[in-house]
Amino acid sequence: MNKTASTPALIQLRGVSKSYASGANRFVALREVDLTVDAGECVAVVGKSGSGKTTLINLLTGIDSPSEGEIHIAGHAIERMSQAALTAWRGRNIGIVFQFFQLLPTLSVAENIMLPMDFCSTFPTAARRPRALALLDRLGIVDHADKLPADLSGGQQQRAAIARALANDPPIVVADEPTGNLDSSTSDDVMSFLASLARDGKTVLTVTHERDLSRFFTRVVTLKDGSLASDSRQPAGIAA
Amino acid sequence: MSPRWTKIRRDMANASDRLLMIVVALAVSIAAVVTMMTASAVLMREVPRNYLGTNPASAQLELDTDVSEDLLRQVRQRPGIAAAEAASAVVGRIQVSPGEWMPLRVFVVPDLAAQRINRPDADTGAWPPATGAMLIERSALPLSRTAIGDSATIQLPHAGVRSVVIAGTVHDPGVAPAWQEQTIYAYASADTLASLGETPHLDLLKIVVSEGATDVTSIERTARDLSGWLTSVGYRVHEARIPPPGKHPHQGQMNGVIQMLLAFSLLALGLGAILAATIVGGLLAQHVRQIAIMKAIGASSRQIASLYLGMVSVLGLVALAIGLPLGIVAGRGFVTVVAELLNLRIESMALPAWLFGSTVLLGLGAPLLTASIPIALAARRTVRAAMDDHGIQFQPGRGGWLTRWHLRDASLTLALRTMFRRRTRLLLTLSLLAGAGAMFITSLNLKSAWESNVTQAITDRHFDIELGVQEDAPTEQLSAMAAAVRGVIRVESWSGVAASIAKSGEMEVVQRYPDGGHGGFALRSAPPDTTLIAHHMSEGRWLKADDTDGVVINSGARGLAFRGVTLGDAITLQIDHQPVRLTVVGFMRELLTPGAVYVTPAMFGRATGQISRSNTLRIALDASGRDRADAVAHEIGQALERDHIGVKSMITEKRFAAAEGGHVYILVFALGFIAIMMAVVGLLGLASALGTGIIERTREFGVLRAIGADSAAILKSVLAEGLMIGILSVFIALVFSLLLSAQVGRVLASISSQPLNPQLTASGALAWLAIVLVGSVLVSIIPARRAARLTIRETLSHT
Repeated sequence: MNKTASTPALIQLRGVSKSYASGANRFVALREVDLTVDAGECVAVVGKSGSGKTTLINLLTGIDSPSEGEIHIAGHAIERMSQAALTAWRGRNIGIVFQFFQLLPTLSVAENIMLPMDFCSTFPTAARRPRALALLDRLGIVDHADKLPADLSGGQQQRAAIARALANDPPIVVADEPTGNLDSSTSDDVMSFLASLARDGKTVLTVTHERDLSRFFTRVVTLKDGSLASDSRQPAGIAA
Repeated sequence: MSPRWTKIRRDMANASDRLLMIVVALAVSIAAVVTMMTASAVLMREVPRNYLGTNPASAQLELDTDVSEDLLRQVRQRPGIAAAEAASAVVGRIQVSPGEWMPLRVFVVPDLAAQRINRPDADTGAWPPATGAMLIERSALPLSRTAIGDSATIQLPHAGVRSVVIAGTVHDPGVAPAWQEQTIYAYASADTLASLGETPHLDLLKIVVSEGATDVTSIERTARDLSGWLTSVGYRVHEARIPPPGKHPHQGQMNGVIQMLLAFSLLALGLGAILAATIVGGLLAQHVRQIAIMKAIGASSRQIASLYLGMVSVLGLVALAIGLPLGIVAGRGFVTVVAELLNLRIESMALPAWLFGSTVLLGLGAPLLTASIPIALAARRTVRAAMDDHGIQFQPGRGGWLTRWHLRDASLTLALRTMFRRRTRLLLTLSLLAGAGAMFITSLNLKSAWESNVTQAITDRHFDIELGVQEDAPTEQLSAMAAAVRGVIRVESWSGVAASIAKSGEMEVVQRYPDGGHGGFALRSAPPDTTLIAHHMSEGRWLKADDTDGVVINSGARGLAFRGVTLGDAITLQIDHQPVRLTVVGFMRELLTPGAVYVTPAMFGRATGQISRSNTLRIALDASGRDRADAVAHEIGQALERDHIGVKSMITEKRFAAAEGGHVYILVFALGFIAIMMAVVGLLGLASALGTGIIERTREFGVLRAIGADSAAILKSVLAEGLMIGILSVFIALVFSLLLSAQVGRVLASISSQPLNPQLTASGALAWLAIVLVGSVLVSIIPARRAARLTIRETLSHT
């Protein structure tokens, strides 16, 4: 999807910095980052460990707030939103995929996917399980719908986590090292699926430290020591 | 069921062992509260119903002559009088075994069947009894060692020793149980007394007022009006006895005790609720990442809070379902025990609706209120803060002081330091255990204090028999007769007469119940050089031979009638219708002795006219005599009878100890019951704290094992932590118990009008230490073994 002059950017970061107290010192995780992401882009955020990738994702999802700067997503200045408003907004607008899957261990795979719909009341009660099954089917694990997460492989759990991120049909999907615990073949499948989401119109931001996976993305943003080191666009995502 | 509630349901199943602790703790404490509320609800209704059911006299006027039918008719016509009857009480003795006698008090009325005031209920046997037979109070039957239909040997003031048929029993809730007062209460018609050769003087005029029956001032006014009229028509009123209107003799004590126990049981519920909050807090600590994830995918703080509050509500409801019926059963059992102690007949055990309503409110409200704090804190945490929570750890720079604590054994050092890692949880666990311990030790301290009072009272009384005679007799004669009996080594005259505070120009008014044992005080003659009592003066001095108007007031009388009086004050008593002015020279700490004010024999003689005469002797025995005190008492009684001196009472110290011991056991029993409930809650708190700590430290155990710690080292570390917490709690409990014992002691002293100074007892402290040590090991062993059995792989993969 190409940006036009009349279409405002979906995600805008202006002069965003983030620092943390560390004992008597302060640790600066992000320094004056400016970043604009348009709707439909598939962005990889890469960098070494400690470069500020996860901090950036946490700020974009409203999990953390910036020390300085502004973050606008779909016209909302999220750093000014209350925790309650942010929670409601995030549930409907951002799907998050965590590195360690973070499925709730006592719920079945299908129930895990129905949970965001339950909390946000985004679909009628009767429609939630069919939707969960449809998402699982799309990710190829519908046969495991009624199993507990512990009974699934790592790859299957990450697919379930992606399905959960899509449960409320959010326009933005954010993934933090989604392949960190997966083998290379499964990693390719997961990345490929995330790239396909962007082709379907969703905006995808993925943190990864594995540079060879950047081929799945239309844009690669590189962070170094908390600063934006490079921002390169790729025509269509080489491997997608 | 929606996924969120499915999650909570499964979380509850996974944490069932810890949640079971909440249910048990709440159920136990709810049961304790319901027990006391049941007791309160039933007794507050049944005690007045029992007492008022006898139609108690508002006042009893003692006249100088018999109350005739004609006089009764006139009295009933007087304004403010609803009912009037004649009565009398004759004091004697009853033989309960060869040579062993007990005090007997016979309530006499013209016709038992027609009696309407202070009317006992027919219980078993004949009602009304035939002339020549009498009834006894039901609680006296076993004590008198007779059966219905048996003949009992009794001794009356004028008739002497006679045989009388016990035709049946009655229930008289207006008197204390016979075993408690060590007195046999009997009921007979005037004809029966006459047939036994005793001419009863029906000189008591009992009245029930028609207005203001619950207002003592109004009753006193009516009694005074009546007294004035009686005087105007030629009668002389000696004394008006006005017991506290509508109140059972033990109503005040019972109310005080039940309120105190209810307060303790509410404290137990508070501790149970704190335990619930502690366990839920531990569970939330374990769920911190799940909560973060739920918030990240759209759950609001309110939704998260409602899930866990819902969990607590379910636990509260289950605890209510167990605790409520359990408490009702225990409460009814408690009521039955109290009914026996207060001589009550419980008509109905029905419970009012408010009891159920308030139980539900307390049972659900208390845990919800306390648990809402950790729940609110967890629900309001930001996703970031929750994701960054990695379990037990120290804030940078805040745990360094612990590193200065070293023990020889690494496992023990680890246990010691671990104990202080979750300080809030440690504080709650210690509060639970120390609270329970304080109550447990307090209950034993109080029991010990009361028993020590009984022992002290017996030690202070250097006499072995107190003998009362029907009519005063020359002191010389009485003393000589008693001293002549083998085994007697010393005899002193301690005459006594009923006394009251004088109100100028008015008749004598005493707050005495019909049983004669509750409410009054006496003026007693005391030899200044007495060796038969140890007089512990709390203020001032003991009597001197040359005292003219000096008076010493004992603790019972001070609590009853002289609270505002100080040393040197002048008091005026009404003795035999005459005002007697005395100067207070001392206050005496006299334990478990009825209210009395002591004057010299000379002063007593001036006040009563009994110069060189006596109605009471105190007799000391030698060692051989003490061994056969009942036989010596019998011999003295026989000697007096040979000289036609009627024995009114003969109380050996053994019987005194039995009477005083009986009053306190209900309180000790109830305090012990609540203390055990709290001990259960306290130990559950320890188990929960250890269990939660182990879950949080699972990874740490993995690391320990990976670097060489074996199962025994981990087991030792967890067991040592439990024991250390337990032992620390005992020290805190000891301090709390001192404060609690002093406070409860003050309440009980006020209720009983007796000084009560509970001290820390070694037996109580050691018993609690043993319970805590054994309990700590028992509650630690399961989590400790669980921790020791985990493999390294299991522990390191724990999230």
